[in-house]
Amino acid sequence: MFLRILKKDLKRKRTTNFILLLFIILASMFLASSVDNLIAVNGAIDHFLKLSKVPDFFAVALTDGKSDEIADFLEGQQWLSEYEIIDGFNLVNEDVTITECQADAGQTAYERSNTLFVGTIPSNFTKVYTNEGEALTLSPGEIAFPKVEADENNLQVGDKVSLRVGEEEQEFRIAAIVKDAVYGSSMMGFKRLFITQEDYAVFDKQKDLVRTRIYNMNFLDEEKARSEWSKQNFTVISAIDGPETIRMCYIMDMLIAAILIVVSICLILLAFLVLRFTIVFTLQEDYKEIGIMKAIGLRNVGIKGLYLVKYLALSVSGALIGLVFSVPFGKAILKRAIVNIVVERTQQNFVINMVCAAVIVGVVLLFCYVCIGKLKKISAMEAIRSGSDGERYKAKSRLRFWKRARMRPYFYLAINDIMSSVKRFGVLIVTFCLGMMLILLPLSAANTLKSDGIISEFSISPSDVYLDTGRGESYIVDMDGLFQDMEEIERTLAEHGIKAVTGTDMGYMIPCYSENPEECVSYYGLQAMGSWERHYSILSGREPEYANEVMITEITAKDMGVGIGDTIHFKMKDRTQDMIITGTYQSMINMGQGYRVSRSAKMDPEYAGGIMCVQVEIEGMESKEACEKLEEIFPDYKIMDAKGFLDSMIGGIIEQIDTLTYFIVAIVLVINSLITVLLMKTLMAKERGDIALLKSIGFADHAVKGWQTARVLLLLAASVVLGTLLSDLLAPYLIGPIFAMMGATSIQLVMGSAEVYVGYPLLLFAVTGITAALCAGGVKKVDLKEVNDIE
Amino acid sequence: MISSDVGTEKMHDWKRETGKGKHMNTLTVKDLCKTYIINKRQNNVLKNINMEIGQGEMVAVMGPSGSGKSTLLYTVSGMDHLTAGRVEFLGKDINTFNAAQMSDLRLNEMGFIFQQMYMLKNLSIYDNIILPAYQSENGKGKEQRKKINDRAKELMHKLGISEIAEHDINEVSGGQLQRACICRSLINRPKMIFADEPTGALNQQNSKEVMRELNRINAEGTTIMLVTHDMKVAAKSDRVLYIEDGSIKGEYVFGKYSGQEENREREKKLSVWLMEMGF
Repeated sequence: MFLRILKKDLKRKRTTNFILLLFIILASMFLASSVDNLIAVNGAIDHFLKLSKVPDFFAVALTDGKSDEIADFLEGQQWLSEYEIIDGFNLVNEDVTITECQADAGQTAYERSNTLFVGTIPSNFTKVYTNEGEALTLSPGEIAFPKVEADENNLQVGDKVSLRVGEEEQEFRIAAIVKDAVYGSSMMGFKRLFITQEDYAVFDKQKDLVRTRIYNMNFLDEEKARSEWSKQNFTVISAIDGPETIRMCYIMDMLIAAILIVVSICLILLAFLVLRFTIVFTLQEDYKEIGIMKAIGLRNVGIKGLYLVKYLALSVSGALIGLVFSVPFGKAILKRAIVNIVVERTQQNFVINMVCAAVIVGVVLLFCYVCIGKLKKISAMEAIRSGSDGERYKAKSRLRFWKRARMRPYFYLAINDIMSSVKRFGVLIVTFCLGMMLILLPLSAANTLKSDGIISEFSISPSDVYLDTGRGESYIVDMDGLFQDMEEIERTLAEHGIKAVTGTDMGYMIPCYSENPEECVSYYGLQAMGSWERHYSILSGREPEYANEVMITEITAKDMGVGIGDTIHFKMKDRTQDMIITGTYQSMINMGQGYRVSRSAKMDPEYAGGIMCVQVEIEGMESKEACEKLEEIFPDYKIMDAKGFLDSMIGGIIEQIDTLTYFIVAIVLVINSLITVLLMKTLMAKERGDIALLKSIGFADHAVKGWQTARVLLLLAASVVLGTLLSDLLAPYLIGPIFAMMGATSIQLVMGSAEVYVGYPLLLFAVTGITAALCAGGVKKVDLKEVNDIE
Repeated sequence: MISSDVGTEKMHDWKRETGKGKHMNTLTVKDLCKTYIINKRQNNVLKNINMEIGQGEMVAVMGPSGSGKSTLLYTVSGMDHLTAGRVEFLGKDINTFNAAQMSDLRLNEMGFIFQQMYMLKNLSIYDNIILPAYQSENGKGKEQRKKINDRAKELMHKLGISEIAEHDINEVSGGQLQRACICRSLINRPKMIFADEPTGALNQQNSKEVMRELNRINAEGTTIMLVTHDMKVAAKSDRVLYIEDGSIKGEYVFGKYSGQEENREREKKLSVWLMEMGF
């Protein structure tokens, strides 16, 4: 008999059972994919660094190919376990020509946003992998591009590029887009292109060319190794402590991963909230029937058994379907979130998914058991008399209509319903609210990175125009060329009647220490240059004015154990320069480690590491107009406004967060719509009598629909407000620490924008409102005679 | 012949003669048929019903369970669709009305009272009463709503339920609740009230009170059509229609109810007539 009742129940309450099944599928899918992603993301970077074999220490230097003091030094050192030297060539924009581009047939000019290096496929250290996670292999005539460079130039697999090194020029077909553990992170300004040994040999035969050489080292005695290295004062472009520093370079990718973790937690919460709401609602519908079963003599155990079997059948089916969908869903989220890392996926991942699906079955049965459990306490007649939902009559009305002189009846009914059942609707408000937070939290990270103020966090003074001459690396060895270029820019502008000043920040990697010369560390320092007198934001103290003054970031101050007023020492080739710390600041360059010296400081040009751009400040002209003018005057230079410059530095990450946000928006819209359908269907099933009553006393269909729709939209409005307030409140604790790890210890997150307060709420309202209005169409089908169904 | 103190009966081909031509009918029903299809089987619930209810009249419909009384009430009031025939309300064929026009009609010209005291449980008694008025065209604006509030208070005062205005619906007796439903049905000054077993769920005392109010409302000029099982209720009407197997089998005309003293005699005559009809 139980099976017959169950079969009939599944058939009769098709809509409710289908909605319940749908939400079990969603819950199972969200939980399984989110837990799986949490685990995958958590160990992703360690896995990737191990997979690609990142050395303990590596340095990049320029060499003429004839003599190499670093190679000589490394030869036979006892503290080294192994080392490898990789040769390659640096490329400037003119060295790369796009010969075939599927996305843009007319495109030939190449624009790079990073220092570009071409070399062979590494076989020992710093191995690279394809987008699919496979080890890279190439045939002659093929080249592999890192993702950021390919994206920047609309390049994809199958496109062709021509490389010119010295007098040799070769054409290559792009065979792969690669993930490069050491140089592929968004924070690394050095990107590698890979070709075969045979193709490289063609370039390499030009012996008189300057090469870029990468020295990868693994240590036996780490302390001794560092001490010996720092004593040498080698002139290098960069020297980096292996895995730890590289891990920090993935902070931007980890920002995405952290957002993904927040998203996953929200999705899990959402899944459970929606499940609880659905089960309570569907069981409430059966309350009267349960009462009747009790009245005709069925025992509590039997009734519980009946419902547990029904929910077991639904939850097992739903969980299994959800389990199947969880794999592509999880992969889709991960693919959009983590683009630079090879994520490990094993058989264990699916076991995790299965455990999560089983948890969902357990939770559904637990909710069901708890909900039916309260039946024990009441008699059969009480269950029947108290109506279909098991509610006891008690004073409910919260708002008095007659006191609302202008409120329309449908609106009053909607608001009064919510006020009368705050607990029931509260669950929905929390659910919608979580959806809103899911959108706003990543958006706050993206908005902060996009904001005008963020430029100061990169230790740059904002200017009207940011100009890339394309000769960034050549200034390292030709600083006079830099000054000449800046003077030339000013002079040309003056000829066009534009009064302008130029400036730039030269980077240095000079070993420095506070007390013990043996404990030298190379931080990335900056020095302002050019005619433009400008100021930089500081956190405490003041900017350095004199040659022996320096300001350092708070993170560096903490690392070195120094503060304002202390002296640090810069160890250059032929001298040691003492500098007094005058202030502290924050910077998102090099994970917040660094310093800035005054314009008058005497820094050894041998330690120069290049410039980010030439800044141009123009008198009496807005940035947009200035950029347009300069584009006309300097067609060969890349002209950017603040946004464009930021985009060139961290554009990939902003784009990634944007993609993730859009994906989340789509998920939230689907969830909200499904919840709305569920809510409307269940409420309308429960309120058919009330709807019929309203229609019988003269309410037109549209007025009743208005009541039903307004209720959902009011819930959504409350959720949007609550979600926005909570996001504002919690963002500094959830997103702030991620920026702090990147060096911005005291950043002001940017929440307020039109898209936060208007765009997304409107989108949510529109989609949810349309869904609600469509569902409310069911009002038309309610027969007036159903007024007799009022309990 | 119809007189105020002597009942008359007519069988099958009944036709109202008294008053014909003197009053405009509030409701005219011609050849009304209502058929339900259940499990592919046709069920003729109402068969060629013809009737007229004059302005200010109070007509009771009686009959055994399943005879089609309630279906007749719901069909002539536009709450249910008819299968064939014509229903004119105030001279207009309501079958030609669309859903919005029917809503307007129910809101402004008709009032409904049900056996169960249906009210929205999230609203107070007072808010339930004023709800249809606030929904109507006259319910927009502060001044208009003030007038509605005055009328609601007046109605509640007349029906003796002023003290329960702010109560929730579970806090009052069945009789009070039914009187509140009557107030709601009257709030928009309808031309006609349709009542389906208005005393069916009430005890004797509450039934008497509710009928007293309905008679008073009728005396003030509101047309009433009510369905009842209760002879005492029907005896207070101007006219009783007896329906069986979907057809009107007879009509008993009392004339206006003028008070308690003649009640017993009306009940006795009705009882005899109903027995003859096989009730």
